[in-house]
This record gives sequence, C-alpha cells and structure tokens, in this order.
Amino acid sequence: MSLATDLIGEPIGADALSDLRSAVGERWVRTDPHVLDSYAAQPFHKVEVGVWIHRPIAVVMPGDATEVAAVVKACNRHHLRFKAFSTGWGAHAGAGFDNVVQIDLRRMNRILELDIENRTIVVEPYVTCAQIQAEVMRHGLNLHIHGAGSNCSPLANATSHMGMGFSSISMGYSPRNLMGIEWILPTGELVQVGSFATGAGWVSPDGPGPSLRGAIRGFAGADGGIGVFTRVGLKLYPWSGPAEIEVSGGSFRGMQVEIPPLNGSFMCIFSNLEDYGDALYDIGYAGIGYAQFKAATGLGLAIGEPELFRRIRDEPGFREQVRAFENQFIVIIGGHTQEHFDYEVAVLGDIVSEHNGTMNSTDGLMATGRGGLWWAVIRNSIAPGMFRPTGNFYSSMGGDEAIANALRQATVGEELKEGFIAEGSCADDLVDNAHTLLYENGLYAHTEELVLYDHRDREQNRKLKGLSDTVMHSIVERTLGGGGFSFFAGAYAHEVLGPHMENYHLWQRRLKSALDPEDLSDSKYFINSEGVEAAGHG
Amino acid sequence: MSLESYRCDMEGCSRCSSCKWIPLAQIRSQRWSQVCPSVWHNDFHAYSGSGKLNVALSILDGRSDFDESAADIFYACTMCGGCDVGCKVYRNDIDLTDTFHEARARAVELGFARLEHLQLVENMRAENNVFGLPRDERADWAADTSLLDANSEQVDILFHVGCRFSYDESQRDDLLAAVEILRTTGKRVGTSGTAEACCGQRAYECGFDSELHNFGDDMVNRVRTSGASMVAVACSDCFGAFNYLYPRNGKDLGVPVRHISEIAAELAADGSLVGAFSTPNATAAARPRVVTYHDPCHLGRRGEDYAGEFDGPKIDRPDNTRRDGRGGRYDAPRDVLKSLPGVTFVEMQRVREFSWCCGAGGGCAEGSESFSIAVATERLEEALSTGADTLATSCPWCVTNFTSAREQMRADGDHREIEIIGISELAARQISGEVPVTITTTATTCEEAAT
Repeated sequence: MSLATDLIGEPIGADALSDLRSAVGERWVRTDPHVLDSYAAQPFHKVEVGVWIHRPIAVVMPGDATEVAAVVKACNRHHLRFKAFSTGWGAHAGAGFDNVVQIDLRRMNRILELDIENRTIVVEPYVTCAQIQAEVMRHGLNLHIHGAGSNCSPLANATSHMGMGFSSISMGYSPRNLMGIEWILPTGELVQVGSFATGAGWVSPDGPGPSLRGAIRGFAGADGGIGVFTRVGLKLYPWSGPAEIEVSGGSFRGMQVEIPPLNGSFMCIFSNLEDYGDALYDIGYAGIGYAQFKAATGLGLAIGEPELFRRIRDEPGFREQVRAFENQFIVIIGGHTQEHFDYEVAVLGDIVSEHNGTMNSTDGLMATGRGGLWWAVIRNSIAPGMFRPTGNFYSSMGGDEAIANALRQATVGEELKEGFIAEGSCADDLVDNAHTLLYENGLYAHTEELVLYDHRDREQNRKLKGLSDTVMHSIVERTLGGGGFSFFAGAYAHEVLGPHMENYHLWQRRLKSALDPEDLSDSKYFINSEGVEAAGHG
Repeated sequence: MSLESYRCDMEGCSRCSSCKWIPLAQIRSQRWSQVCPSVWHNDFHAYSGSGKLNVALSILDGRSDFDESAADIFYACTMCGGCDVGCKVYRNDIDLTDTFHEARARAVELGFARLEHLQLVENMRAENNVFGLPRDERADWAADTSLLDANSEQVDILFHVGCRFSYDESQRDDLLAAVEILRTTGKRVGTSGTAEACCGQRAYECGFDSELHNFGDDMVNRVRTSGASMVAVACSDCFGAFNYLYPRNGKDLGVPVRHISEIAAELAADGSLVGAFSTPNATAAARPRVVTYHDPCHLGRRGEDYAGEFDGPKIDRPDNTRRDGRGGRYDAPRDVLKSLPGVTFVEMQRVREFSWCCGAGGGCAEGSESFSIAVATERLEEALSTGADTLATSCPWCVTNFTSAREQMRADGDHREIEIIGISELAARQISGEVPVTITTTATTCEEAAT
C-alpha cells in the first residue's frame, strides 16, 4: 500500500459500536472516515514518514468520568485498544495501532474548583493553560505552563508527558504541581489519588489516601499508556502583575505589551559555555527568577524574523556574528515587592558580571515589540511558532540532568545536528538551538535539541528518521545520561535507554502488566508489555 | 485554483489547534476563548480549521470519498476566517479558508451543493438578488432620496446598496442614515437603481465561483459607466467582495472601495458628521447608551486589501502578502461610536481580527439555520456580558442574524434586553437626539417578503 492509504484498519464491529453508543450516546460516537482521519493526521513528533498515523476505529466523546469508564469497559469487552486525547497535539496523542478507539475528552472542559486561598485549581482534560492563566491572574495567581505552550492541556501534561517549561525555574515541572488525580484504569475502574479521595480537599497528591503518583508518571509520563486521567488538582503560584494584559500591535510578531511594575526581562550573554553553565548554577543556588530559558539565536530569528533569518543564514559573515550570541539565556524577574524585584535584578546582575557576561533588557527585542517577548514567555504563546520556519520540528535529546551534563548533551547534540544538516536531513538553523531550561529549583537543566524540517519533503523526512536512533544511541555510547525527549521516539526508545538507567523500563513494564493485563491502553509511546521486538523500531 | 493546489497547506498542518482559539496572547477568559464556530458547535476535530484540512487531504490521498458526509463537514462552517487568523499568528504557509472554498467548489461540481444554496444562486440568476425578490423593486427604497442615477448621470460616489439593504425594510433607517452620511461628504452620490445587482459574494462562499465572475463583470461595467471615483458600501459582505475577492479574481473596479464606517469616521474626525443629523436640540437629547461593537468578518479579517499572490513557496511568504486579518477595518467604526454623544463604549473580549462571527456567512443563514442562530446567540451572550445595552455593527447581515437570535432567546424565555443596530442608524439617533424614522415591528424583512 502507499503511504497515504496505509494504516487503515477494518471498520468497527456492530456490537462494539453499539456498546460505545450506549456508553456516551449516539451523537458522541463517530465512525465516518472523514472524522476518523481528522484524528489520524498527526505529522508532529512522529518518527514515521508522512502525515498519517493509524486511523482510529471510532472516536468517542464522553462527557464525564463515568462515561469514560463506560467506554473503557466497552473496549475491554470487545478487546479494543483505546487512547485518550485532550488538546491532542502530536502523534503521541493519536492511535498507535489498528483497532484503537480514540477517546476525545473535548467535552470535559470544566474548571471545577478554584481555591484562591490555598492556591489550587481542579480541572478536566480539555481546559488549556491559557484559559486557566486568564482566569487565575485576576486573583493574583499563575500556573506553570509546560513547554508545548498555553494551547495545551495541563492535565495531559502533568499526568502523562514530560512537563518542563519557561516557568520551571520558579514553579517546578508539571508533575510536581499535581495536587490529586482522578484516574480511569485500563480496566475501567475509577481510582482517586491524593487527599481529595478521602474528602480532605486538594491539599496533597500523596495522601492521606494512597499515592500512586510515581507509578502514574515515572519521569516522562506514559502518554496514554496506562489509562485515562479525568480530573486533576494543580498547584498555583503568586502573580504580581495585573489581572489582564493589554496586548496591541499583533498577537505574536509585532506584539506590544506594557511590562507591568515589578516585572522585567533580561538577556544574559556569555563568551563561552563554561561561564554560561556556571552562571546557571549560581542562579539556581540563588533561587531567583520567575522564568528562564535559552533563547536560541538562529531559531528565535527564524520564528520571529524569518526573512531576516534567511539573509543571515546565507551570508557567512553575518552567520558567524550571530553565532557569537550562542551562549545566552533570558531570565524574567517577577517581584512581589519593589525590594524583592530590586534584589533579584541585582543578584542576577552580580551573577552575570561574575561570569564575565553582559545583561540587557529584552524590551523591543526582534520582531516582538516592547514587552512582547515578556508576555510571550509568561503566556507561553511561543511554541506553535516553531512551525513557521519549515513547517515542522522534532525534539530529541534532552538533558534533564545536572546542568553541566545537560550542557554536555547540548554540545553533542549540536555536533550531531551539524551532520544532519550537512546531509540535508533538516534545515540549517545556525545549529545553536539547544533549548535550555532550569528546573527543580535550579538543580537540573533540561535541554532539547530542536530540529527544523519539513515533513512535506519526503526525502528529508526519510533521512531525518535516523536522527532519533542516532541520538538515542549517542546518549548510550557516549554515556551522556538522561534521555529526555528521546523517550518519545516510541516504545523502542525505552528498550534502548532503560538498561542504562537502572532498568526503569522493567519496572514500568511490571506496572503496565499489572494495571493493563490485556494491553489495551495504547502504549505506542510507552512501555510495551513484551519487549523490544514487540515495541517495533521507531 | 483547485483543491489540489492546496495540498501543501493541508499536509502542512501540525495540528497545534491555534485555529480553534483566539490568539493565545489575547485570551482573557475561558468563556470567550474560542474563535471557530464550526468546532465550537460540532465538537469533533474534523469541524475545526485543522480538521477540514485533514478531511480534504484524506480525500486527495484516496483514503476517503468526497461524498455527502464530507460535504456536510465543509458546509458546517460560516467561512468567517477566524481559524485563519489563529493559524497565521504562527504560519505563513497555510490558507485555511481558501482551502475550504475550493472544497465547496468541488462539492458543487460533484452535486453535493445544499438545496438552499442552489435556490440562492437561482434567485440571483433570475432576479439579481439573493432573495429572489423582483429586480424592478430593488430601488423602491430610494424613491424619496433624490440620489443621482449613476446609469445616466456622472457621480463622484457610486453607492452600491446591496441585496439586504435594498429589500429589507426592517433596516431602512440604517440605510437612509448611510445615505445622509454620504451626502455630507459634499460629493455627487448616486446609485445604479434597479440596474444594481448582487455582488456575488454569498454565492461564491457557497462554492459557486462563476456567479462572482458574472456579477463582478456587471459591477465593473456599472462603475465605469458611472464615472465614479469611489465605490461606497454600507454592507460588509459587499465590501469584502469588492475589496478582496474581486481583485483576487481579476475584477478591477478601478476605484477605491470605502465602507460607510470609514467615511463616517472621517466626517467625525473633522466634526462634520454632526451636520448629517443635527437638529436644534441635538446633543442634549442623546440617549445614554453603553455600546459594544461587533466586527463583521467581511469588513474585518475577510475585508483586507488584496495584496496579490506571492510568487514563490508559501513558507517564504512575507506577512504582507498573507491574509492574516490585521489589515481589516477595525478602528473606523470604533472611532465613529466613540465620537457619538451619549455613548459609553465597551469592548467584548473577541474583537478585531479575532472577533467571533455573527453566524450568517458561508451560506449558513440560508442552509444551516439552527447553527447560524446558535453562533449569533453566542455573540449576544458575549455582548451582554460586557454590560452593554446596545450592540452596534456595520453589516446588515449581522444585524439580521443577531435580531433573529434575540427573537429566539425571547421565545425561549430569555428577556434580557440589548438593542441591535447598524452604525449609521446609531449615529443618526445619537446625534439627532431622536429616532429619525420609526421602526415598526411590522417592517418586512426580505425573508418574509420572499415568502
């Protein structure tokens, strides 16, 4: 079969369809090929060539946890795999096999509780980070927004998929902010994890009831491989800015925002990677910063000023000058008082100075006008911009290690990517784009080697397929530690990386087998119950 | 163009869902965060901007057929372009609404056009208007206006009235106020009378391209005959057709197109708008109102100036050759409203290029009435949430749909009050301190007249 018509399984049986309709109502079950294919077009973050992943056998849209449980039980009765889907961005959200029922959680879009005093919020799967942030800012609160951006579901991220973001330096990574979880097991039973399960409110994710948070999450998350999460409590953080932000001039490029008092955005530039890394350590030790990230020079230009980027990329003199800015990151300071703000700015200035760097306000930087970059980071409205330069990107590597080792991965990542660029597997982005975030109170750095490519260019797409393998094997062979986003190269990645990381994959496989004895919760991107051969390659 | 010519757009969608939301940086609440009426109402991803690209690609790739089911998805859309705005915050290489248009054109070719759309086209062919009302009654409204006959007299401004304003008695006050605004310019203003015909926009949006071409040729000839140096419109659908669709489809009117709100804004800026409607007791009698404004899609994001096609890969396309909505007419109507006595102006959250649609476009008012009214009701809810007692807009189709939605709300027992009014009529009322022409509840809408 051709690529375009591949991955289409047999239609759903009449009995199974009837059961699903009983579970959610006829209106909320679709099996027409057009609707099914709209869930099978997932070109982002997939290792296979082309647009299509497996076409689900049906799409169901439950309205609450009871209906989710009924769907999962129906799938068990008919031995159908199922895969939960919330905001659904990327191949890991879709069907990994034939005969998968896609459970679209779009109707579960309620903010159920907002406890301002205790700084927690309880949400369903189809509430986005941008929505929550807009609602809680008027109460002087904010939430951690993971790297994928504010268009995504914080429930899906916190329960199932990595979780680092610009605000990790002050708010941790997503699973740290879970305050309780409602979970439909792969067998259809409903489990409540955390203090709310005993009526004690959303004050602790780990008790007085049982804590299964580690089992659910591990480090990277199961990407839908161990059931469906239907409700979570999330921790909120103080916000000293205004209730609403006035935006003018554009919504990304050209965006104009007045940075509010007690807030500032600073680019810190260093002459070498050693000083850069040492400064990151000191920032972590000092406990300063509201948000932080490395603003990749080439990538940032490609997103914000694509025409300028192309001219720079193609001009050797410019190119080298721009790469001189490689060792830089941005720190956003958000003070709660003037003294607090002044203190953090002064400490940041001292740290940068001690490591021979320079520090400048980002106001007016690049295409984002005054304050635009600051708001783009706070709202995290940047991530979809990654598609502007070439149409797609891939994220691999990922330190998630002590800062020095994470930066070592970044260096190796650059070296690998140089090779891929040379052979035409991905776009030339000036290479310095190892996205870097501090998290875990500055103890760890998260790096991602981002690769720009166009999946519509089939030849480039085929060549790039080797990148995830190359990265994974480089991590092992060069003992770089921390697989990060390499985990999302599919179940195969766990088989390659697990033996070098305390055999975590064996433990996760035992959990998977216990929770999902029939292997029905689609684990294309999680642990496969039968090992590397069954996992498939890529 | 053809559906196939948008394959690269379809394949390029990364499924980030920016097409479903107002731009992320602009979201101020969960309640008013969505921009796409189609997926808002139908939920499954296939109905979103992204999903329709997926469906079209599925068909092109031979994975599914272009059948009634596919046509249903493409027609469950107001063609408002909200998805395009969300997408183009991040993408230079995807044109969503243009792709949907080609899918609708394909639906027409394959015999899947909606019956209501076929009737609309038949009406246009028979009577030169979308309602099928007698063409010789098109200019009845103008009997007492002494406007020049642009077919035989030289005019400076050719006022293209449009189908809705020509036949809809319930919007007569807004139309007459627009005429007064035009007169205040001091230019010679005329119409084409019964020779005026539909702009073709509503048929084009339903997938009937040839209607736009045929009616476009007629319009070009009428403009040339009139000798006008400007075409003025009070209907946003006509504005979007003349300002964007015509040049894109090779129809050159040869003169600029101005919407009445732009002309009124200029008059307001130099202080002469008051002269159009002033009475001895003018400002003192202005009724205090809290007014919010609805941006019509075809005056806003769909009404941008046509900037030509980029000659190269879309991925390299500069911003100024894309249709990202930012070049729509947004400030002029607001400037008018803010200039009016008695008006306290408040904004909704979904405004300008990321405005929520009124639901009347894309053939939905004709072919998907319940969906169309639901979309309008959602907008009324947003307007009410601002505390406004008046919802002003610049398009008679929006006024009609909002009015229908309000009637439905009343029928459902919801008696919250909000007045729906065209911007010219509101200017007349606020400046004159009185209602220029009494609107009676028995005024005939063109839908009623057509039946």
